Amino acid sequence: MRFTDFTSHDMVLLLQGLGVSVALFAATTIIGLAIGLAWAVLRWYRVPLLAQLAALLAELLKNSPVLVQLFLVFFGLPVLLEADLTPVEAALITLSGNTAAFIYVIAVSAIESVGRDQLDTARVFGLSRWQVLRRIVLPQAAAFALGPLTGLLVNQLQVTSLISVIGVVDLTKVGAILNLRTLKPFIVWTVIGVLYYLMARLIAAACARLETRLRAHREWKGL
Amino acid sequence: MIHIEGATKRFGGNTILDGIDLRIAPGEVVSILGPSGSGKSTLIRCINGLEKLDGGSISVDGHRVEDPKQLQLARRCSGTVFQLFNLYPHLTALQNVTLAPTEVLKTPRRQAQDEARELLASVGLADRADLYPAQLSGGQRQRVGICRALAMKPRYLLLDEVTSALDPEMTAEVLAILARLAAGGTTMLFVTHEVEFARQISNRVVFLDGGRLLADLPAAQFFALDGGLAQPRIAQFLSKMTK
Amino acid sequence: MLVPSTRRMQLQFDLTSLVPYFGDLAAGARLSALACALALAGSLVLGIAVALMRTAASNLARRLAGIYVDLFRNVPFIVQLFFLFYGLPEIGIELGAFATGVLALSLAGGAFTSDAIRSGILAIEPGVLEAAQVSGLSRMAIYRRIVLPIALRSAVRPLGSVFVNLILTSSILSAITLNELTGTAKIIAADTFQPFEVYALLLVLYAALTWLVSLSAGALHRRLNRNQA
Repeated sequence: MRFTDFTSHDMVLLLQGLGVSVALFAATTIIGLAIGLAWAVLRWYRVPLLAQLAALLAELLKNSPVLVQLFLVFFGLPVLLEADLTPVEAALITLSGNTAAFIYVIAVSAIESVGRDQLDTARVFGLSRWQVLRRIVLPQAAAFALGPLTGLLVNQLQVTSLISVIGVVDLTKVGAILNLRTLKPFIVWTVIGVLYYLMARLIAAACARLETRLRAHREWKGL
Repeated sequence: MIHIEGATKRFGGNTILDGIDLRIAPGEVVSILGPSGSGKSTLIRCINGLEKLDGGSISVDGHRVEDPKQLQLARRCSGTVFQLFNLYPHLTALQNVTLAPTEVLKTPRRQAQDEARELLASVGLADRADLYPAQLSGGQRQRVGICRALAMKPRYLLLDEVTSALDPEMTAEVLAILARLAAGGTTMLFVTHEVEFARQISNRVVFLDGGRLLADLPAAQFFALDGGLAQPRIAQFLSKMTK
Repeated sequence: MLVPSTRRMQLQFDLTSLVPYFGDLAAGARLSALACALALAGSLVLGIAVALMRTAASNLARRLAGIYVDLFRNVPFIVQLFFLFYGLPEIGIELGAFATGVLALSLAGGAFTSDAIRSGILAIEPGVLEAAQVSGLSRMAIYRRIVLPIALRSAVRPLGSVFVNLILTSSILSAITLNELTGTAKIIAADTFQPFEVYALLLVLYAALTWLVSLSAGALHRRLNRNQA
């Protein structure tokens, strides 16, 4: 067997790369969710200065290329902080921040689609701002947010492919390695593409399942 | 001549048109009356090909509507004015009127514009030619719609409840124009709820109920004897409509 | 990564040392702009065609168009780019980095623009289309004079955000050795040992550019629709 052929070990490589991609996607999604929601809460409480800063940061992260953000964190931060950063750490930080920015926007818009009158009524009844958020806004906003959220998750999965550029051995990097070795780009990149495609569909399907369950829970089931 | 033979149309389980036979000759002013849901609008929409027949056939000046190759030719013989105006929102009144002549008849633009301005002037909209539909009132929009249909110099003018979406004052404006057209010899086939108007200008009345043609008479006869054949359904309808 | 020991912990943001490189940055920016402009044109052409297919009466057309959009939405751009960049030469098509980049951006952009235009088409009042049909206009004429003008007018804002997306995605072209804005910045960062300043500047530049594009899209939308209901 020539060195440039595919071997069974390549299957292992692919799975490893896939694992890295999925792990980073999951981790950054969770962290991004937490940060983004925290920013949204800052806005809800209209915390002076912090709410504005969060909004500004979100705008910046939303409207600049993820690749540049990755470079900034991976190449720039270590110079600033005089500390080294591994590619994985840089990827975690960058993608979490990027996801957070989009979560923030989705959360804010979902909160705003809950009718103003409900909020006013609740306040008149003496509910605190926290209670209004938790009991009235959150359940409804969550339903509104699910659609955009699905789109965001699928998109952020694609975005993880960029961490290969700073050296993380994710699925795309494995593709680059295989491509370089076997010089069979059509096979390699098609396989990589298919794997990403399947993952994206899985995520979309999972979100759709969640959406129907949420809906069913709130539907009138008749007498 | 518009030939309608055995026209049948079904929607789901309902038969909207049940074997309609009708002939319209040039010069006639025919009104189609009947209760809601009787298939009046559907009949018009079958003549201009917006709906496909399930049975029977319709031909306009010899062009069969069911044949896709002849449909365009059939459509050129007629012009339609709609209940909801359906003006092109991104074009001015003038452009609305000149679009079809320039695209279909290949009329030179200058000539099309001159003719369009004349038409608009004849309905009292000379000073509104360069406004957009959003800037016009309902009555004005409908008048533009009439001009748009007339710009193609059609043999037959099909009018589908053209005043139903207008308030009484605008309705009167539009009806005045239609009366003028009828008097001038334009062949018109109109579906309407305005029974009084139908009585005044049409020379023939067709009455539809439940998809069936219950009466097809000269207007004078129709209104004189409450349907000529003294059918209770027609009498009932007329008494309700002309209170 | 070399870390000069004279750097302090506080934000030493020294942009002045980058000034001699502004010319290079401008050249990179011009290349980015050119690529994006060409890709936008390509995306629009493709997007209109695909949107028309997705709203066509033919089931086959809808299915094919649907597959295309599905594919380009669920596969990462960099994978698409590598596929083309490494694959095309294998079948004898030598395009070079710039052309490959524009091609990849157009293909991906086309999927997203078709979404925006399709929404615009579906929002057209059916009655307006009926009026066009009965007046004898041919299908081509209806698309050209009625459907597309109306659909594009209402699609300006969504198309603006697709363009913004295109600009941001164009930074990935640096991965196939194209010296557009991001690629140039990488070189400068390596030269000056000031990656933080360089990339921070770049971030702000991109953000400002996309903000401008959004603003323009909004203005264009207002202008085109000033006479509409």
